[in-house]
Amino acid sequence: MNSPSDCLDRLYSLKMAKGGSNRKVANGLLAAGAAAVMAVYAAGYERTQSAAEQLEAQSAVRRPVARSAAVAAAPSTPVVEPREQRETPREVAVLAHPSEPAPVITAPASTPAKTDITPAAPVAPPAGPTTPEPVIPAPAPAPAAIVAAPTPAPAAPASQAAAPAAAVYKDGTYKGWGTCRHGDIEAQVVIEGGRIASASISQCLTRYSCDVIGRLPPQVTQRQSAEVDYVTGATESANAFYYAVLGALGKAK
Amino acid sequence: MGTLVTIEIVIPGETGDAPAHHALDRAFGWFREIENRCTRFDPSSELMQLAARPGEAVVASPMLFEAIRFALLVAEETGGAFDPTAGHLMMARGFDREHRSGATIHLGIQPAPDATWRDIKLDPHRRTITLGRPLIPDLGAVAKGLAIDTAAQELKPFGNFAIDAGGDLYMAGANRLDEPWTVGIRHPRRQDELLESLRISDQAVCTSGDYERRGADGRSHILDPRTGNVADSVASATVIAPVAMLADALATAAFVLGPVEGIRLLDRMGVAGIIVTPDLARYETGTLPHAA
Repeated sequence: MNSPSDCLDRLYSLKMAKGGSNRKVANGLLAAGAAAVMAVYAAGYERTQSAAEQLEAQSAVRRPVARSAAVAAAPSTPVVEPREQRETPREVAVLAHPSEPAPVITAPASTPAKTDITPAAPVAPPAGPTTPEPVIPAPAPAPAAIVAAPTPAPAAPASQAAAPAAAVYKDGTYKGWGTCRHGDIEAQVVIEGGRIASASISQCLTRYSCDVIGRLPPQVTQRQSAEVDYVTGATESANAFYYAVLGALGKAK
Repeated sequence: MGTLVTIEIVIPGETGDAPAHHALDRAFGWFREIENRCTRFDPSSELMQLAARPGEAVVASPMLFEAIRFALLVAEETGGAFDPTAGHLMMARGFDREHRSGATIHLGIQPAPDATWRDIKLDPHRRTITLGRPLIPDLGAVAKGLAIDTAAQELKPFGNFAIDAGGDLYMAGANRLDEPWTVGIRHPRRQDELLESLRISDQAVCTSGDYERRGADGRSHILDPRTGNVADSVASATVIAPVAMLADALATAAFVLGPVEGIRLLDRMGVAGIIVTPDLARYETGTLPHAA
């Protein structure tokens, strides 16, 4: 897979070779500029990992849709109550066209904008999402049967979900960000003696209150993992919290 | 940069605007972050910390590295008409005031008077920058363009938006009337006239003009890095390109090169542009998107 850096290095070699017409070099400068922008954008900066980048990272670490009752990887652990069949999480970066009706919650008073946000005359929304970049892979379809093999989710092995796992973390306090269509959530996780001592929502920047996922943080401690429940009517926020905890735990390794 | 940044996002009437507000925060964040790293008016910026260590291979952030790398590409392509190492020349002529705060800066760096872009060496694999000689890079044009481009990436999902960073623009999609954005180019001599009106969609528009900041001697601030003299054969050079960082750098280069060489450069780069001389003669590329 070519990174923007690789493309840039190849363009450098192209320039040095200097064979061929000027047009090759000319287009090279435009392409070099575009590649440089993407490299900077992809790198992000501190917490401001851009939403698009985070969403892409989140879809690469997809939450397992069905939890196996026969947790083949950890035979000694008690059987997890099988999760209800649920819709696949929709981690789609289509910010301008909501694809599901918004929950009935009073929207907070809008803060004064630095700019004009000008509603256009109502336009029929296009049939599908406008193509955001980078392209988010479509979520995997929900398997109808319970899968015995562990699902390929690198950061959440099936064994970890079953019960307090023996995962060892480094002591300290760690934070991570998760994002969803409604905004960003920062989770804070405290590790003591190598285990999760507590988890909390340290910043709730979603447009809906985080009270709706209030019962999730204690589950992180109970389950010693990010595998908190889904919350009906708050799927997005719950997912954002999940990924925020994942991010925090990732730093504690 | 010290510029005022305005962003307009056009969203359908029935859509909530919270995602747009979040995207705006992130977009403005890019402007702040890039300015913090790339400004030469703050001794603690990443750029100035690099300038304080001539002769060393300094590991750089992707932001600073890519900005300098691109600036050097443009310098090579324009034969030095655009040169990010001309900072010391600007300082010698009195442009050592950060023009927002007016604070003068004093640095412990003695720039080599004949340093050029060739004195900067990059190692892409270790992502290091080495200033072969003491010099003060000036990333004003490139950094502003890069900020516009990264901010535009944040707003891309919305499709229709406009970014105005002190007169350098990026317009995406359509305006609220569902037409390509209309962009006027300021007349270099007559304040309430436009030189030209353009229809712009998914392009950056950047202008270098001699009517902008003037130095202590009252003359315009754009120098020809190859000679150190004021570049005075052009009153205004405007470039339209898909990438703001490119448009910004080429506008500066075209200004220095003069009307004929400048248009030749823009044609070779495959971008559109218009150059006006002090006596108001106009030179255009064939591809200028005139408004009807």
